[in-house]
Amino acid sequence: MNVFSLRTLCGVGALALICSSVTAAKAQTATSRIVSAANIFLAALDEKQRQSALFAFDDQRQRARWSNLPVSFAPRAGISLKELNAAQRSAALALVSSALSRRGFEKVEQIMEGDEVNRIKEGNNQIFGKDLYYISILGKPSEKDPWMLQFGGHHLALNITIAGERGVLTPTLTGAQPALYTSSGKTVRPLGQESDKAFALLSALDENQRKQVILSYRLADLVLGPGQDGKTIQPEGLKASAMNDRQRAMLLDLISEWAGIIHESAAVARMAELKTDISETWFAWSGPTTATPGSNITAYYRIQGPHLVIEYAPQRLGGDPSMHVHTMYRDPTNDYGRGIAAK
Amino acid sequence: MNTRLVAAAAILLSLGAGAFAHRLDEYLQATIISVENDRVQVSMRLIPGVAVSSIVLASIDTNGDGVISEAEQRTYAERVLRDLSIMVDGKSASPTLVSQKFPATEELKEGLGEIQMEFTVDLAPGGPQRRIVFENHHHNEISAYLVNCLVPRDPSIRILRQNRNESQSFYQLDYAQDGGSSDPLTLKGWSTVRGSMGAVGFASIFRLGMRHIAEGTDHLLFLLTLLLPAPLLALGWRWVGFAGARHSLWQILRVVTAFTIGHSITLAIAALGLVRVPTRPIEVLIAISILVSAIHALRPLFPGREALIAAFFGLIHGLAFAATLEELGLGRWERVAGILAFNLGIETMQLMVVAAIMPSLVLLSRLRSYSVLRIGGALCAGGASVGWIVERLVHVNYSVDVLLNGLAHHAVWITGGLFLISLACSLLPKFLNTQAAATEPRPGRTRTVPQGVSGFTHVD
Repeated sequence: MNVFSLRTLCGVGALALICSSVTAAKAQTATSRIVSAANIFLAALDEKQRQSALFAFDDQRQRARWSNLPVSFAPRAGISLKELNAAQRSAALALVSSALSRRGFEKVEQIMEGDEVNRIKEGNNQIFGKDLYYISILGKPSEKDPWMLQFGGHHLALNITIAGERGVLTPTLTGAQPALYTSSGKTVRPLGQESDKAFALLSALDENQRKQVILSYRLADLVLGPGQDGKTIQPEGLKASAMNDRQRAMLLDLISEWAGIIHESAAVARMAELKTDISETWFAWSGPTTATPGSNITAYYRIQGPHLVIEYAPQRLGGDPSMHVHTMYRDPTNDYGRGIAAK
Repeated sequence: MNTRLVAAAAILLSLGAGAFAHRLDEYLQATIISVENDRVQVSMRLIPGVAVSSIVLASIDTNGDGVISEAEQRTYAERVLRDLSIMVDGKSASPTLVSQKFPATEELKEGLGEIQMEFTVDLAPGGPQRRIVFENHHHNEISAYLVNCLVPRDPSIRILRQNRNESQSFYQLDYAQDGGSSDPLTLKGWSTVRGSMGAVGFASIFRLGMRHIAEGTDHLLFLLTLLLPAPLLALGWRWVGFAGARHSLWQILRVVTAFTIGHSITLAIAALGLVRVPTRPIEVLIAISILVSAIHALRPLFPGREALIAAFFGLIHGLAFAATLEELGLGRWERVAGILAFNLGIETMQLMVVAAIMPSLVLLSRLRSYSVLRIGGALCAGGASVGWIVERLVHVNYSVDVLLNGLAHHAVWITGGLFLISLACSLLPKFLNTQAAATEPRPGRTRTVPQGVSGFTHVD
C-alpha cells in the first residue's frame, strides 16, 4: 500500500511535471520564441558584427533599403550570411525561420536556392549565391516594444515588424529567377502556387466577370515596387463582392500565399482581417489568359483591398517571362507595422 | 536599323549575367497622379533599360561630357514636360515643374538609374464631373508606361473611371467633385462648349493629328519614298533624266492629294465606326506599302500611276489614323469634329514636310547624281520597311523606330542640309561654268587680262 501510494505519487508527480512543461512550452508565445532566437543570434556575433546588424527602430533609410536587384547593384545594409561562420549562420537562419511559417521559410529557402542556381549556371558569378542575403534588426528585440527583423537579397525582402503578440510582414517582396529549376531531382517553382492559384481563380470566373477582371492595357512592371511606400492607388478590375462564395474562397486562398509567409499565429490574425475585407477586395489581370500546366503564368495580376496590395509581375527582361517573377505584398495602412507600432 | 538589332543582341550577350537583373530594352516611365481640390500633383519615375540607355543619356547629357549638370537636368525635365500633353476638361493645361532628381551617369548607363520628377497642374474651378487626359509622347518608340492615380485624400473627390490605351501612353481620368464651382454661368457655359466641341477639344485633336504624322515615321516614309522618283521620267524598266520642273510639281501635287483623299475616306469610315479593322494587319500592310514604293523608286513599277497607288495605300494608312483617333473615346457627334480636326492636323504637317522637301527634290533631280539620293533613299526605306514587316509579324519589338525617330529628331537639320546641298549642287556647276568661261584663254582677251589676275586663276 505504502509502496503503491509512493509509486502513484511519483507517477502523478511526473505526469504533472510533463503537463506543466508542455503548457509552459505552449505558453511560450511566438514572439518570445522569436525574441530568444534574436538574442541567441546577437550573442553569437562579435561586437563589430553586432554593430553592423543593429539599427534604430525608426531608421527610415534602413527600413526602405530593399530591392529586387542583386545586392551588388542595390547594396543592402546589415550583415550577410557570407560574413558569418557556420554557427552564426545557423543562428541567423533559425531567427528567420522562427518568425515565419514552415511554408513561408520553405519559400524563402527556394528563392535563395534559385540564386545559387544562377551563381553556378553563370560560371560562379559572385553577384549571385545563397549567402548573399542580409539580416538586420531594427530596435531591440522585445516581447513588448515594437522592433523589426529584415532579411533579404536578390529577389527577396522580408520586413517583419513585431509588436507584442502581433506580427506584420508588410512590405515584403518575393521574386524568382529562375522561377522554375530542378534541385536534387525535384522540380522547384518557388512562386508556383502564386501562379497556379491565380490562374485557377481566373478560370473559375464567368464571361461577365472576366470582362471586368481583365484590364485592356499592358503592365510592364510592379506599380508599387521598391521605393513606392505609402501609396494607395485607385483599385481596378473585379470586386470580390461580385464573386460567388467559392471564388471568394479561392481568392483568400491565393492571398494566403503571401499572408501565410509569417508565423502561424500572426498569419491567422492577418487572414481574419483580410477575410473581413474580402468583399471590398479587387482582382485585376493583365496579359495572357492561358497557362501551360507545370509552368508559371506570363500575366500580371493585382489583388487590392482596404488593407492589402498584392502584385504579381512577370519580367520580360532576360527572355521567358514565365521564368522571372517579381511579387509585392503590402498593407498601405500598416507597412513597416506603422499601424500597430504606434499603438 | 539592322545594326540596331545587332547592337541590342550584342548587349544582351555581353551582359550575360547582368541580363538577369537589369531592365533591358525598354524605357520604363511610371506616373502616379494625385488629384486635389485645386491642383493635380504628378510624380514620374523614368528608368531607361540598359539597351536603350545610350539613347536616353544622349538626350540628357547634351554636351556629352559624361556629367549631368544642373542645367541639363532642368532642360531634360522640361523636355519631358513638353512631350506630355495634359488636358483638363478638354482644355490644354500646362504643368509646372516642382523637382527633379537624377542618378549618376554610370547607374543610368547600366539600366539601374531612376530619374524622378514631380510637377503640378493647377485646376481652375470646374463642374461636378471632370476629366483629366494625360498623354505621354516622351521617347514613345522605346518606352513602356505605367499610369495610375492615387485614391484621393479629399473625400469630396471620387474617381469614376480610368481609361488607357494598350501601352498606357494615353490615360484618361474621370472624377466627380462635390461642391465644385456653383457659379451657374461658368458651369453652363463650359458644359455647352464641351458638349459641342467634344470633351477633348478641337485644337488638341488638331495637334494630335500633326503629332501623329511627325512621330509616325512610317506614314511620312511612305509618302517621301513615293515622291523620290516623282521628278523623273520612266523609260521602260529604268528611271531616266529630269522630266522638267512643271512635271515634277504637278506629279508631287497629284501624289500628295491622292494620298490625302485615300486616307481621308477610310479615316472617316473607320472613325465613325462603320467598319472595324484589327490593327496589326494594317500595321503590316503599311510597312508593305513602304516596301512597294521603295522598289518603285529603284525601278519603275507603275510609272504614271503613282497617284493611284498613293490613293490605294492612303486607304490603308487612313485605317491606322482612325485607330489613333479611337483611343480618344469620343462620342458620335464629337467624332465628326474630331475627324475634321485630326485630318486637318495630318494635312498641315504633311504639307509642311512636303513643302520643306520639294525644293531640294526638284533642284537635285536635275543632276545626274540624283540617282545616288534616289537609290540610297529607296534602299533605306526598303530596309526599314522589311524591319517593320518582320517586327509587326513576329511581334518582336526591336528598334526600327528607335533609329528612324532618332533621325526624325534632327529632321529640321537634315532637311536644311539637304536643301543647302541641293542649292550648292545646282549653283556650283553654273558658277564653275562661268568661271571656266572667264578663264578660258581666248585669243583676243588674254592680252588684256593683267598678269596678276591670270595668276589668281591658276589657284583653281
